[in-house]
Amino acid sequence: MIPFILRRLISVSVTFVIVSILIFAMMHSIPGGPFDAGDMPLPPEVRATLNERYGLDQSLFTQYINYMSGVLRFDFGIPFQSPGETVLELLGRAWVPSLVLGGLGVLIGTPLGILLGIAAALRRNTWVDYLASAVATLGLTIPVFVTSMILILVFAVWLDWVPASGWGSPDKWILPIVAYATIPMATYARYTRSAMLDTLNKPFVTVLRAKGLSETRIIYQHVLRNSAIPMVTVFLPMFIGTATGSIFVEAIFRVPGLGAYFVSSIRTRDYPLEMALMLMLTVMFCLAYLISDILYAWLNPRIRAGGRKG
Amino acid sequence: MSASPVTPLVDIRDLSVSFPQHDGVVQAVRGVTLHVDTGESLGIVGESGSGKSVSCMAVLRLLRSPPARIEATALSLGGVDMIAADKRQIADMRGRVAAMIFQDPMTAFDPVFTIGQQIVETIRVHRAVSKAEARSEAQALLTRVEIRNPASILDSFPHQLSGGMLQRSMIAMALSCRPQILFADEPTTALDVTVQAQILQLIKQLQAEFGMGLVMVTHDLGVVAETVDRVVVMYGGKVMEQAPVQDIFDTPAHPYTRALLASMPGQGGGRQRLTEIPGASPNPANPPTGCPFHPRCTVADTRCTAAMPPLQGNGLDRQAACWRLT
Amino acid sequence: MTAALELRGLCKSYPLREPGGWLPRYRQLPVVRDVDLTVERNSIVGLVGESGSGKTTTGMMALRLTQPTAGSVFVGGVDITSMDAAALKPFRARMQVVFQDSYSALDPMFTLAQIVAEPLHIHGLGTTREQTKTALDWLERVGLHRSYGSRYPHELSGGQRQRVAIARALVLRPDVLIADEPTSALDVSVKAQIINLLQDLQAEMGLSILFISHDLSVVRSLTDKVAVMFNGRIVEEAATEDIFTSAQHPYTRSLLQAIPVLNPRDRKDRVFRSREELEADIPRLSAADTGLTPANVPRLIPHGPGHRFEAIVQ
Repeated sequence: MIPFILRRLISVSVTFVIVSILIFAMMHSIPGGPFDAGDMPLPPEVRATLNERYGLDQSLFTQYINYMSGVLRFDFGIPFQSPGETVLELLGRAWVPSLVLGGLGVLIGTPLGILLGIAAALRRNTWVDYLASAVATLGLTIPVFVTSMILILVFAVWLDWVPASGWGSPDKWILPIVAYATIPMATYARYTRSAMLDTLNKPFVTVLRAKGLSETRIIYQHVLRNSAIPMVTVFLPMFIGTATGSIFVEAIFRVPGLGAYFVSSIRTRDYPLEMALMLMLTVMFCLAYLISDILYAWLNPRIRAGGRKG
Repeated sequence: MSASPVTPLVDIRDLSVSFPQHDGVVQAVRGVTLHVDTGESLGIVGESGSGKSVSCMAVLRLLRSPPARIEATALSLGGVDMIAADKRQIADMRGRVAAMIFQDPMTAFDPVFTIGQQIVETIRVHRAVSKAEARSEAQALLTRVEIRNPASILDSFPHQLSGGMLQRSMIAMALSCRPQILFADEPTTALDVTVQAQILQLIKQLQAEFGMGLVMVTHDLGVVAETVDRVVVMYGGKVMEQAPVQDIFDTPAHPYTRALLASMPGQGGGRQRLTEIPGASPNPANPPTGCPFHPRCTVADTRCTAAMPPLQGNGLDRQAACWRLT
Repeated sequence: MTAALELRGLCKSYPLREPGGWLPRYRQLPVVRDVDLTVERNSIVGLVGESGSGKTTTGMMALRLTQPTAGSVFVGGVDITSMDAAALKPFRARMQVVFQDSYSALDPMFTLAQIVAEPLHIHGLGTTREQTKTALDWLERVGLHRSYGSRYPHELSGGQRQRVAIARALVLRPDVLIADEPTSALDVSVKAQIINLLQDLQAEMGLSILFISHDLSVVRSLTDKVAVMFNGRIVEEAATEDIFTSAQHPYTRSLLQAIPVLNPRDRKDRVFRSREELEADIPRLSAADTGLTPANVPRLIPHGPGHRFEAIVQ
């Protein structure tokens, strides 16, 4: 197991380097710099001074090496659009709302989705099944910003149960969490239903019945466990994707999260912030997949216990 | 044994099982009557589509109904009416009074639990014993089915074992609650010839030792010749003939039984053309009228197409359903 | 006369990854060891063994569907072991195969006529119309009505599909047919039909068949000669009735005694020996009695016309 993990960590590092080069190159391939456009065009001399101060007049190679050597010391530079803090401080500040709302959305949506999927599988082709499948399909097809707006319309405007937007108090969190929850809920509902139906058709389930086990025990002890293994591996990447903040949800609900920065950093040519965001995503996804693979190998007896004995 | 008539261990009378499909109804079993007495071994011989497996699954109520429709004048196991029984009674009967082993041992176990866990589970579902006790019983059972390293097998996962080991483990699991009857549905079809011989011998020995009834469902007449006391021959969802095993082989009455025996390969005398049965098995969704075998029968006449012949006996222990015998 | 198919010294090993460690390390797992087998023209040879004996791998090597690790394959006297794809193509037309699972052997997207005509198409024989006609002729020859040509595999029963597989295999009129457990997945009453079909076609076409099976009863009724494989080697080979009536090797005998009886009165209790015991029980013969040169390793020694088995001569 250890050699496996170490080999994967090495490949994560290689991926990291390759991605960093690609992002850096793509970033700089967009014409223009951080100080060029804007409402107040700066005089050329000022621009030149700024460019020099931030090292933007040096060769791309030098800029890359400088930046990456900083990265290795956890120094991601200073965001051009917010020079009063470091990139790390900005990320730390902005990530909290995204993590809280997105994370809670996934943590709430996933179990709901699983329960919905179980109900649909057990009551196949009844109204429960059709309702669950409809909810799942809608959750996946309706764009999250449409869902958000509908949520605001129904619950904040018409019913006036919760505030429409903002970040400060927990009651403002409810709608964005629901919006975030729809996708994991829909994904897991569909997945759980089909995985369970698959497992229920397997021969060993008939053997379990022939042994005299109750249907409840068969479902919760055996069928769920068999269906669960692949589900576990989907969870972490989904969590990362959601917990880094959706620009749509955060814009509509006016949440000061990370989502907006993904786009704005590209638009304003905020290179340090842009690089930091991309590198952060890369590392997190790579680690998420690595952990998922380890988890899968550990949960699946075929891999954990090894091959033929007798 | 008492002198008064004893209820058979398995009593099936006029059983019919059908499955509605989107384009018709599949009649898997059409009016089957058979029984198994305590301690007796019965072989049910038939091809795929004959209804032999479905009949056994029906007794244990292992068919999802709905969609399956099960009707019978009697369907009892150990004296209990399996049609009237509720879910709890059925679950109680399964494993404890009647156990079943299946054809493919590789897919019969839950892949994420060890063999030991699955045998222990069977024991603890029916009896109040501790995990440790159940485990040591499981180990003793594995030894009894001739597994040489039972402790290691207890902790193994199904994918780690060969077909022969898994089939023995499945037998051990089936016997863990000392059932009164064991249903074996093609238990050796997926196994090598030497393993098959060992498993059949093991089943026979265990049946004698535990005093169990045995129902051996198979398409292989050789298996029947090796293992059982009495034979029921099924075709097209119906019983064609029923007799003690020696009589079936020495003096088969029904044309289908005779044709089956004649077509068995390996009877010696070098390379030869076999006596084949022309045609194919009937389609359960659209069975022939009258006797299901008439399209392939060499001695069929007009009576055979018109109506199903009744099962007629010799008054003792033989019965056959054929117009030519009346 | 040159044999239709000859296997000489065929060996196959697979690399097995050693678990653990940083860099991958492999050891060789021998699956087939030094197999010599000849299939004469116009005959049926049975290759029997249990799972793990290497019989299927041997068949695959004969067809060059698996590359032998060592040894040679001769088709009609020509060594095809190392031929490249272009040179091999005409020989492929002379060797065909039928497998156990007829369901996965036929492409579900094609009609039966297309399936049977495909080999003709691959080898560029005849116009499309002629190919279709030949395909339909063959469907009739294997016992299916011509109208089945427009049907799809999923509409047929197992026995019917196997007939289609046989038709497809024979449409090129090969010299050699390798049949790997063609009747094992079939119902009892259909087995006899397929066995008879193979016999009839063999006699009609002068075909040579290598019949790989674990079902000794079928082999007894179908073959002229039998080779018994155990743990990757041939341990005994003889004319079929000789194998069944006077087997010499302990493994062959254990295999024969495991065959289910044909009549209940012949029931007997058997003693079984493990694979390890059988592997260790190599017959030992004295050089003096047999007049053969002694050696420390087991090898196939002759025992009578066309009969040989593995033993150590001391």
